[in-house]
Amino acid sequence: MLDKILNALSQMSGWIVPLAQSAQVTLALSVISVILGIIGGVFIALGRISRNGFLKKICGAYIFIFRGTPLLMQLYFLWMALPLAIPALTLQNRFVAAVIAFSLNSAAYQAEIIRAAIQSIDPGQMEAARSLGLSYGQAMRLVIIPQSIKRLVPPIGNEFIMVLKDTSLVSMISLVDLMKKTMQLQSSTATALVYLPSAVMYLIFTGVFTWLFNRLEKHHARYE
Amino acid sequence: MPLIETENITKQFGELQVLKGISLSVRKGETICIIGPSGAGKSTFLRALNHLESITSGRIIIDGEVLDDRENGVNKSVLTKQQESDILLEMGMVFQRFNIFPHKTVLENVALAPEKVRKVSKEAAEKRARDLLETVGLTDKTDVYPSKLSGGQLQRVAIARALAMDPKIMLFDEPTSALDPELVGEVLNVIRKLAQDGMTMLIVTHEIGFARDVADSIVFMADGQILEQAPPGEIFANPKHEKTKTFLQAVL
Repeated sequence: MLDKILNALSQMSGWIVPLAQSAQVTLALSVISVILGIIGGVFIALGRISRNGFLKKICGAYIFIFRGTPLLMQLYFLWMALPLAIPALTLQNRFVAAVIAFSLNSAAYQAEIIRAAIQSIDPGQMEAARSLGLSYGQAMRLVIIPQSIKRLVPPIGNEFIMVLKDTSLVSMISLVDLMKKTMQLQSSTATALVYLPSAVMYLIFTGVFTWLFNRLEKHHARYE
Repeated sequence: MPLIETENITKQFGELQVLKGISLSVRKGETICIIGPSGAGKSTFLRALNHLESITSGRIIIDGEVLDDRENGVNKSVLTKQQESDILLEMGMVFQRFNIFPHKTVLENVALAPEKVRKVSKEAAEKRARDLLETVGLTDKTDVYPSKLSGGQLQRVAIARALAMDPKIMLFDEPTSALDPELVGEVLNVIRKLAQDGMTMLIVTHEIGFARDVADSIVFMADGQILEQAPPGEIFANPKHEKTKTFLQAVL
């Protein structure tokens, strides 16, 4: 019995380095996609609450499409279908394709998070800013958005963790992330034990980022 | 020439007409208090002056410049956006719910607009902010966040913040209605001092005693109309309109 456990442990320790290497892809993909998603999300959210009806519709349609279809389908579409339709849009790099798909998808979710946070700010804040002569853009940038950040941190933290786990889908376009590496090790060693250290790695990442986002939330609540 | 002149302002919210032709003129240095039952359109009128609400028809003339000349909501005045914002800057507004920026310190609240809108240097804006905070009696609170202040202190910050833009006119929308009774006095004292210093002010208030004290003229509004306007001595001693009498009996 003890033999078996020790044997398994030594086998697992041999997997740590290859798993950790492929985990870099998982982490880089998650962080870059969420950051690009936030940037895109801010603009889509501002479009959604603008008084320009056309802009509002476009942004609404974007959110409808990217939230309403499977992420895996979006990834396939970008990697396989789009180059067939428009050869100029053929992507050479799997990682770049994954970043684009995840950023576009995440932007749709984050736009809704950001819109809700902006609209939760007392309208009196905008009125006060405008009555002091600030332009709409200045009022957003200096008064409304800074106040909404504190309310944004928890749902964006949540979104980040969803993205981190969803990146495992890139194994389907043969990008070697933590998930794909795990599957490769499973078939080369003929043991499913490799899922255990891999799962622990995912847990460490989600744990660390949960802690970071909690710190960030406290930091942004300091003026209360 | 009056500093504020409104001619026959109306405001329609769907079927509901909240302003039914308001004509009022305010001379430089004058303090006018607007009283009346809730739902009379007092706040809407004040907010319309500052373009927080748009009017349906009528004219608004500020310091000789036609800000609005509307018919069916369409503005016939020919101001550029820049001219319009310049005129709007002549009016400072104080709100019932203070609307202080919670993520900025007291000093930053006051210095923000001069710095970002008037493009005054940070040092100059902060120096002026300190002076203004001194006049409203908040010298010791400059570097704290608003969450540490009482309602009365917040409203005094709001007054200093509006004054920092050097407006010619101050609009007060029920400045003491959200305050605990013991905090009302400190805010009214600041407003009273402004009146003594010759600021032109339009004050919507339920503080009848204060209105009697500070106003050059009292406007009584009900049902979207001005029913009566007279100096305090006259309107309180001898209200002419039946609704004014009923209202004053209820509040005095």
